[in-house]
Amino acid sequence: MDDTEAIKSCQQGDREAFRHLVERYQRRAVTHATAILLNRDDAEDAVQDAFIDAFKAIGAFDTSRTFYQWFYVLLRNRCYKLTSKRRPAESLDEALLLTAHRGVADETRLALEKALHSLTREEREIVSLKYFSGLSYDELATQLQIPRGTVMSRLFYARRKLQGELGGFLIREREV
Amino acid sequence: MNELSCEDVLMSQMAAADGEEPQFAKEQLAAHVAACANCQHELQESQALNHVLAGHTLAEQHVDLWPAIENRIAKRSNSVIGWRPFALIGLLLVIYKLLEMLPARDLGLAFKLVPLVIVAFLFVLIKENPFRINTELVLER
Repeated sequence: MDDTEAIKSCQQGDREAFRHLVERYQRRAVTHATAILLNRDDAEDAVQDAFIDAFKAIGAFDTSRTFYQWFYVLLRNRCYKLTSKRRPAESLDEALLLTAHRGVADETRLALEKALHSLTREEREIVSLKYFSGLSYDELATQLQIPRGTVMSRLFYARRKLQGELGGFLIREREV
Repeated sequence: MNELSCEDVLMSQMAAADGEEPQFAKEQLAAHVAACANCQHELQESQALNHVLAGHTLAEQHVDLWPAIENRIAKRSNSVIGWRPFALIGLLLVIYKLLEMLPARDLGLAFKLVPLVIVAFLFVLIKENPFRINTELVLER
């Protein structure tokens, strides 16, 4: 069943079709929510709430967008609501964000995770979507509902912070 | 032609490295970088950061949220009350008001209690306790 078909069935009250959407997107959603919230349990709560919101609002689904683009707006609203109430995980292990490719030292991964923790939720979100999910600037602008210029400046300042946090690692990286 | 600031140059170089169209001509950017030690240093750091970022992906989270979501949807469907009970209550209150307006008729104390009974029924219907104090409310910052 493709997404369009599933959404049409959901709009007619078919719960099994909604299950298809949940099972298809839940992992990506929890991964993105963890990147914003830095807490796996909170991320799962936010994703559950966002899927319930999606189920209630599926009748108003905007057909000009893909399901995940539309759903992501609901998800980030839920995440932002939670971030104002709760604290991020105290230790990095509680919210494992990244997987290092083969050959990348675990030390580098930990340093990058620590650096990501130092960003604001908006900065961490945009860096994750750009560099780990591969979205283009236009896609980021659509998904985050901000102008393209804001995408560029937010990324630029987030990268500057990362560079500041990763100082020593970047020097080593340049020498390699 | 306006002089480019370091920030303009670095932002354009970032866009180019991200596979996007830079805002300024390559020659213009190259000329600035060639003459600016600060931008040369920043660009080296930026390239190193790109290398670090490229070595990682977001850790995929393995979850199965459907049972919990299905449960919540089922609860929600069971608790949804249609419009009919509310229409009936409205109609009963209108009838009560019309009867009350009839001249020179005293229908007794029991009649006067009818709206109270209707409102109590309404709270039972929506499963709300009007006397409950909600301690979970948090002031918005």
